[in-house]
Formats: sequence, structure tokens, C-alpha cells
Amino acid sequence: MSIRNYDREKCTGCGICIAGCPMDVLRLDKAAKKAVIRYPGDCVACWGCESFCPLGCFDVSPERGRGELVSPY
Amino acid sequence: MKNINELGTVINTDVLVLGAGGAGMCAALKAKESNVDVLLIDKCGIGWNGQVPIGGGILAYVYPEYVEKWAEKVTRDSNFFNNQDWAFAFGKYMHKSTLDLAAMGLTFLKNKGELDILTWGPNIHVTLFDAPKSLVALKKTALARGVKMMDKIYAIDLLKRDGQVVGAVGLGLVDGQTYLFNAKSVIIATGNCGYMHEKTYSSVQGEGPAMGYRAGAQLINAEFGSSYVWGIKALGKELMGIHFYLYLENARGEKIMGKHYPELMVGKHSVYTFDPRVIDAMQKEVKAGLGPIYLNLMGLTDAEIAGLAEDRVEGLTQLIANDTMKLLREKAGIDPSREKMEMWPRYLYSGGGLRIDIHGKTTLDGLWAAGGASSNSWSGGGGGQAGLGVQSAAVTGFVAGENAARYALDNHRLEIDFSSAKQILERVLAPLHLKGNLDAAEVVYRVHEAVVPMKYNRQREAGRMKEALGIVQDARNKLNRVGAADFHELARYHAAESMVMAAEFTYQAALMRRESRSGHFREDFPHRDDKNWFKWITIQHQDGAPRLSTLPVPLEKFKLRPQ
Repeated sequence: MSIRNYDREKCTGCGICIAGCPMDVLRLDKAAKKAVIRYPGDCVACWGCESFCPLGCFDVSPERGRGELVSPY
Repeated sequence: MKNINELGTVINTDVLVLGAGGAGMCAALKAKESNVDVLLIDKCGIGWNGQVPIGGGILAYVYPEYVEKWAEKVTRDSNFFNNQDWAFAFGKYMHKSTLDLAAMGLTFLKNKGELDILTWGPNIHVTLFDAPKSLVALKKTALARGVKMMDKIYAIDLLKRDGQVVGAVGLGLVDGQTYLFNAKSVIIATGNCGYMHEKTYSSVQGEGPAMGYRAGAQLINAEFGSSYVWGIKALGKELMGIHFYLYLENARGEKIMGKHYPELMVGKHSVYTFDPRVIDAMQKEVKAGLGPIYLNLMGLTDAEIAGLAEDRVEGLTQLIANDTMKLLREKAGIDPSREKMEMWPRYLYSGGGLRIDIHGKTTLDGLWAAGGASSNSWSGGGGGQAGLGVQSAAVTGFVAGENAARYALDNHRLEIDFSSAKQILERVLAPLHLKGNLDAAEVVYRVHEAVVPMKYNRQREAGRMKEALGIVQDARNKLNRVGAADFHELARYHAAESMVMAAEFTYQAALMRRESRSGHFREDFPHRDDKNWFKWITIQHQDGAPRLSTLPVPLEKFKLRPQ
């Protein structure tokens, strides 16, 4: 789990989260003017959407969508 | 004659810029000053993409009167291993690029209406800018000046005709269209490879150097620049601040920095997140069975914690530390004043990039490169001060933009060669026809197993590096089992392949360099060997495989020589 909460009601479809997502997780539903979480499993929890969203629509957990991180040791 | 439009949507331009982060944006803005058509494309949405908006907003600065001394210091610090032409040019350009960026709309911290140039250390200066909004501001200017832009286009291969780069292939992530961009000159500004291990820098996945390499351009310095930062394990994020190192302890509760670097415990020191001494101490403790390593801030108030982040640039790192503490509480459920948190080293980057000359041109005609995707050896493989990454992106972007535009003014556009474009597209689109049974993430994980462990990539040694290359080969084999249902998955396939390639380049060059120098440390060759290794390593695609060569540092052409 990565995007653990997305407040669709609050979203105005400005597209900033979609622009900032390095993993192409989010897409815009142009008709509804809402962001859509299209590929949730690919989220790497970088917090881009959460920190850039002007309306605070996102709550992202620290875990990635897929796989744990390899240990450096 | 076959019609190129059968292969995809053809879009013509004079200058094509791949990647709209700091370097690409600067390249596009500068190219447009020559009044040519400029098209800027990015796999994300332009304005909020790349590494600059998520960075600290620090831009390195050198006073014009100090340039000579600055470049001389860089040269001496690198033991004359750097490209002095670039070091002097870079130092000289910083003043102009800072003013250019301000004129292009970047918001800087000002003092009484003047750009505030802050002192970071002895003869080290920086300016501060509004990072999150930086590219939005530059984008506004670029659009007003007529730069064309396309969002969500994943560029993955270059198109050539008669040995010259004439464009690129792009996958429309949203519209599912295949694009063939036809240009007079192309600039790769995609960043290098961050492998998505340090989460914050997940946008750079190695595509730019990989596509340049496939087209025949030389890469350089692949063995240098691999770096680790220490950060908070639960968050997958570094912790900015210069005094936190004092509070690192092992599983027994012993302070680790005093054990290994007692001199750091006396007086005041600035120890950054990328300080190799901290990584050393962590590694030694864990090796001795005393891990994991914790940061123990228990009993400290938020104000005291922010105080530990104290920096020479007032307020900035404190703010970042406050944000990180907030994230800890909200995301990981850790209250730093009540419980300790586990810290570990995180792998940040692979090194090197496309070799560029003083004009930002690669070794291929029609192709320029800028920012992290390029390597001009200005620093000689060494590190630097904060803000040099962004400044290097700006300067190399401006230089590449100016020269690629000049080339576009003087030359005709060569049309895309149908058969070679068809062949490239067949390769690019092949995973769409494969019913795969593996996710690209598994390939990336396998690459991480080769590049992240410090036994492979920090304390390098021939046997272990060969082992790491074996893991990378396994990752490459796994790629054959990855299919793609749509362009999103196809892009993930190509990103994974680019990471495989970045890892191969790093270890192949690191195996070749039988000495230790700068960030490249070989346990089996622990000393610097100027007699045999005063040369740069280049990598070029030949007969289906990477060919490594050496290029003696051309000291005879440079200004300074060791006495």
C-alpha cells in the first residue's frame, strides 16, 4: 500500500499530482476533473503528490507499492 | 517508398529536448533565444517533474573575481584529474547563469531587492530559490517565448540517418500513440540513473544515457559518482542537518561517531547526509555485529531537534528537519522525542553519463546532452558543495541549448530513415507482443541486489564485482520474461532495462580501473595510481556489446599542471 487515502471529493483536477508523479501512477479523468489512481502498485512512496497537492488530497504511506528495499549491508 | 507516417505520429521541430527538469528547461529556454523551433518533452508533466522541485532550492555561486581560484582549487582537489576546460568554463558561467535564471522568472531569496548571495563556508557561496515552484516559473517564461511542450511522452530511443541523430521515438503514455520526433538537433536532459532506491529521486531511471549509448554515443566516468547517503529507514528518506551525527548510536546504545572519529566530537563540525565518515562508522558497527544503527533524539524538544539541523544558511535546514520530523510522526508513527529511529545508508546514484565537450555536444553528430545525463569531468569524479548539481544542470543546459540551436540554424533537417526507424520500433514495442510472467519491478529489485550492497559498490573488489555483474546478468535474463499490456508497462520495462545497463556500465568500468581514486575505492587496489590510471574510461556500443577504452587526461592542453 502506498497511497492510503485520496480525497476524491476535494480534488479539482488541477493535474499537479499527475505532473509530479515519477512513476506514472496517476492519470487525469478529464470529464470528471479528478485525478485517478490508475497504477497503484507502482507507487514508490516518494510523497511527490502529497507534498505538491495544493488541496491536501493525498495521504501516502512509507511503504512502496511493490517490494521492499534491498539492504545496503 | 514507404511512408514514415505508417510507423507513428511524426512531429517536426528544429531542436528536440528530451527531459524537462532543470537541465532540459534551461536548454529549451536558451535554444529558443536563437529563434528556432524548440520542442520540450517529458515522461511526467512539465513544471513539477525532475529533481529540482523536490530538492533544497540551493544554487551554488562563484563570484566572478574568484573564478580562477575556484577552478584551481577544484583542479587541485581532484589531483588534476578533472577536465580543466570545463572547470574554468563552469566557474565562469555560474554568475551569468544565476542572473539568467532570475531574468527567466526563477524566484530567488532577495535582500533589499538584490539577489542574496549567502556564505556557506570559506569562499563557498550559494543563492536560495523557491524549489517547488522553480520549474513552473521557468515553464511560464518558456511558453511565453514560444517553446512547445508535450507532457507524458516517454522517450526511449534516438533516430539516426547517415550516422547523425535526427530525432527520437516517444511513447504517448496517456494517448497510447507512438511518436516519431524529427529534429535538426537533439538534447538529452533526462538525468542519470537513481535506480529508485532513495525514493525521492525516483524519476531518474537511466533512460537518457541508455538511449545515447544504443545510438553509439560515448559514455564516460561510469565508475565514479556512486554515492550513499544516510537516512531514516522507515521513511526511505535522508535527514538534512549537520549535527545529527552526534546522536547516532549502535544497538548497545554506544555513540558510534566518537568511537571511529573522535575528532568529530571535539569542537563544532558540519557533517552532512552524504558524509562518507558516517557511512564508514555505520558499516563498521554493523560488521562488528553491533547493528542496527539508531538516531536517538529522545528527550529533545522539536525546537532542539531543529537546532541540530543548524546550518550556515539560516533557517533552511531547520525547516527541512521539521518537515522530516512531521513525516516521521504522521507516516511511520515514530515520535522522535520519545523513541529512537533506525538509520541506514541509502544508495543514491550511479555515476558518469554521456561524454560532452565544451559545447555540450556528445560524440555523436546531432546529439547534445546536459545535466545528470551528461558528464564533462569538471570536478574530476570528486564531490562538491551543495547546489552544484542544480548549477551544473543550468550551465550545461544553457550551453547545450545555445549550441544545439546554432547547429539547427546552420543545418537542414534530415528526414527519418524508414527502415532504421522500423527496426528501432520493433525493438521498443516488442514486450507488447510478449505474454510475460514477471513484473518489471522484480527486475529492478534484482538490480538493487547488485548495486545497493556496499560490499559490491562501496568497497569494490574484483571477485565481488564479478558476483554483482552476475546478479545484473540475472536481472537482464529476467527481462526476457517481462511483457507489457500497455505503454505504461512498456515504459516500466524500458526503465528496468536502462537500470540494468547503468549497473553493467558502472561495474565494468569499476573492474577496469585497477586503482582507487575519488569515490571509486578498490580493496584490491587501494592506492591512487597516476602512472597507469591518469585517464578517463569511456564506454561505447560496438558489435552489440559495450567496448571500454581509456582516454588519457589531456594535461598538456590544460592551464594547470602538478609541480
